[in-house]
Amino acid sequence: MYKWFATKRILKGLFMYALIIFIMSALFNSVVETTMRSQIEEQVRLESMRLKNFTTTALQKFQNERRETLIKKYKLDRPIWERIVYRAIDTITFNFGKSTIIKSSRGERDVLSIIAEAIPRSLILFTLAAVFEILIGIFLGLKKAQKPGGSLDKSTSLITMIVYGMPTWWLAMILIMFFVYVVKLFPSSGVHSVPTPEGFMYILDMIWHTALPLLTLVLIGFWGLAFVVRNIVLGILQEDYIMAARARGIPENNVLFGHTLRTAAPPLITMSLLSLLGSISGSIIFEGIFSWPGLGNLYWIAVQQNDIPVLMGDLAITIGLYQAGLVILDLTYGFLDPRIKVGGKA
Amino acid sequence: MNLNDLGFWFRDFWAEFKRESSGLVGLALLVLFLLVTIFESSLLPFKDANTRWRDITYWQDNPINAPPVWTNLFAAKKAARTINLEQGKREERTDEEGRPVVQEVFSYQFTADKAPLDIIFHTSIQGSVPLSIEVQRPDGTRLQITQRYVEFTAPSQVRVSINNDGKDSLFAFLKVHEASSNLSRVSSGSLRGSDILFNKAREGMAASFEALKGEYRFIMKAQVLNSEQFMMEGTRLVVTGSVSGILGTDNMKRDIFSGLVAGLKWALFIGLFTSAVSVLIGVFYGIISAYFGGIVDTIMQFIYQIFVSIPLLPVLIVVSAVFKPSIWFLIGVMVIFFWPGSVMTVRSMAFQIKEETYIEAARALGAGHRRIIFNHMAPLLIPYSFASMALSVPSAIVYESSVSLLGLGDASIVTWGQILHDAMLGNAILNGLWWWVIPPGLAIAIMGMTFAFLGFAMDRILHPKLRTR
Repeated sequence: MYKWFATKRILKGLFMYALIIFIMSALFNSVVETTMRSQIEEQVRLESMRLKNFTTTALQKFQNERRETLIKKYKLDRPIWERIVYRAIDTITFNFGKSTIIKSSRGERDVLSIIAEAIPRSLILFTLAAVFEILIGIFLGLKKAQKPGGSLDKSTSLITMIVYGMPTWWLAMILIMFFVYVVKLFPSSGVHSVPTPEGFMYILDMIWHTALPLLTLVLIGFWGLAFVVRNIVLGILQEDYIMAARARGIPENNVLFGHTLRTAAPPLITMSLLSLLGSISGSIIFEGIFSWPGLGNLYWIAVQQNDIPVLMGDLAITIGLYQAGLVILDLTYGFLDPRIKVGGKA
Repeated sequence: MNLNDLGFWFRDFWAEFKRESSGLVGLALLVLFLLVTIFESSLLPFKDANTRWRDITYWQDNPINAPPVWTNLFAAKKAARTINLEQGKREERTDEEGRPVVQEVFSYQFTADKAPLDIIFHTSIQGSVPLSIEVQRPDGTRLQITQRYVEFTAPSQVRVSINNDGKDSLFAFLKVHEASSNLSRVSSGSLRGSDILFNKAREGMAASFEALKGEYRFIMKAQVLNSEQFMMEGTRLVVTGSVSGILGTDNMKRDIFSGLVAGLKWALFIGLFTSAVSVLIGVFYGIISAYFGGIVDTIMQFIYQIFVSIPLLPVLIVVSAVFKPSIWFLIGVMVIFFWPGSVMTVRSMAFQIKEETYIEAARALGAGHRRIIFNHMAPLLIPYSFASMALSVPSAIVYESSVSLLGLGDASIVTWGQILHDAMLGNAILNGLWWWVIPPGLAIAIMGMTFAFLGFAMDRILHPKLRTR
């Protein structure tokens, strides 16, 4: 039955993605087309500059013809609804076109390869941070739930509320100011030193560069998670079987990490994945503070350079990742919680 | 639920709320923020900070990148602070040669160890006026700093800076006291005028600064050639210190404290308005979805699903980059993406309430859908949404600041995110200008904390399940 549930969920995810891309392409249609038109103009100009020994009229004729062919090729002469659909299909099939200014590290102007470079860097940073957050968050949450209302619970809940509205990127600024420029401990930006070292030093160098962004994300991230874990676990700890386990004389740590954690697993994993998704949709631009060349940093550069194709491609990919995250979230939840697996009547 | 019930409910709520100490702290902070917003005009050191935040001429008398005044407490050598002397002593008399003269005398007590960066005179003059500025130092020396002839048919602003306009005469003063061997090493371009003016007159004054403390009298003297045309008004003097204001200045010479105070009301407004509107929409969406059920519920749940699967910040960034929106548009976009936050809980609660007997009774009595939803269901569910209202305020503020941080904010207002954007552009982190980076972000964090305190306290009262045993 899980197979059915999984296929249904994945298909629904794909449909949602297509639908959202369609909405976005309708919303941003006019600005995308303006950029396309100016790109066509530029291409025609470049092509006619290469031509030699042409009379002015012939040149003009050539330009007009080229322009018309290109406009036809990009379907800019079609009615608006057709253009929107066409644009949406282009985006869904990862056909983002060429950037106006930004180049990839290999000098390509292809939007897809620019973004493809950035995705792994973002994923590494955010998943690594999520792993640390989850570990610390679950541990702290369990400890909090063990003695609710105790001094540990109260003090950590207070900190949770204090960091509740704190922007990650601001903490990043403060930490950079302190750890990079006052105590010269970490590099200020990037993933690698220049020149990039080889072999084992390459990994060390990367860890050294990752440390501060990671620290920033974890430092703000785990508090909220610990608070939610506490609330979930608190509910489970009041169940009868926990009392029975305690009565049998099973060590408290076994009760906590064995009995309680197993039952709490489905909602905990949901929460953890949600917090990872939350950081993608909420604090991704914090990459820009560290010049960490991921998807978030790409937003900064694209906004500053006013590079519309890259901006749109970045948005489409971020939405896609977010969708994939939601699908994975539901699939894991269904896998862990047998009630969902059977899926009622389906 | 009528007004009496509401009062009763509120008294009940308050009795419980009083026991939540963090909630009370949040409430106190919120009241403080509201008071700051109300008394903003008297708190602002620069009254036009709201409207002229990006007007360079408005801030021209301030020092660049100056630390806050209170850093003096921790400094071994005290720096002079920025002071506005609004009112001079006005005298009208005739000078030695019998010509009528109007002069304004400003007295400045110099007690710091470092000289001010500049002394700036502002006045509004009409007519043909030979203008001269003199200074009387504590050691009795009287210097003429500058002299100029101004001619205006209408009242016009005159700005005199002793660094720009008094350089030559101050250098001449230096020449009198300094040995020629030292003089060869400096030029009038390399030495700041105020460093000479506030220095002890001695040999070696070009090489090192030794503060001559005491009362400096600055005299702005205007000769009256034609008394019918003559006018000199609004004379004031600005001492530009190397420390300035409660929170220092940025690289555009703007007073950061003014920016923070001016940004406070926007943060409050953006947060409260966005969360109130979106939570109300969400509550009614949830109620309607649950109340009608069936196909309506299915369709509404589908629409809801679309909205929750869009990552907000990336969309917000692209919308702002493409449409260059005003703050109202931005708030609108945020509302569009915020309302789904409270739908699910309300929907599940509304499913239960819908089955209550009194709803059935109301229906049996012939009450319409609207009456049941607005009069019987919403009043029960709206109080529960107060907690989520308070808890979504911080995220609205953070989202707006994130967009502003990228430089996509509304340029007609001042927000904390925009101050931080300027700090990023001005390399504040690299140059260690902490007074430019820490306060705006801290303000965002404290504002978030305030509403987190309120929201969590309300959550504990309204959802007693979460209480600690």
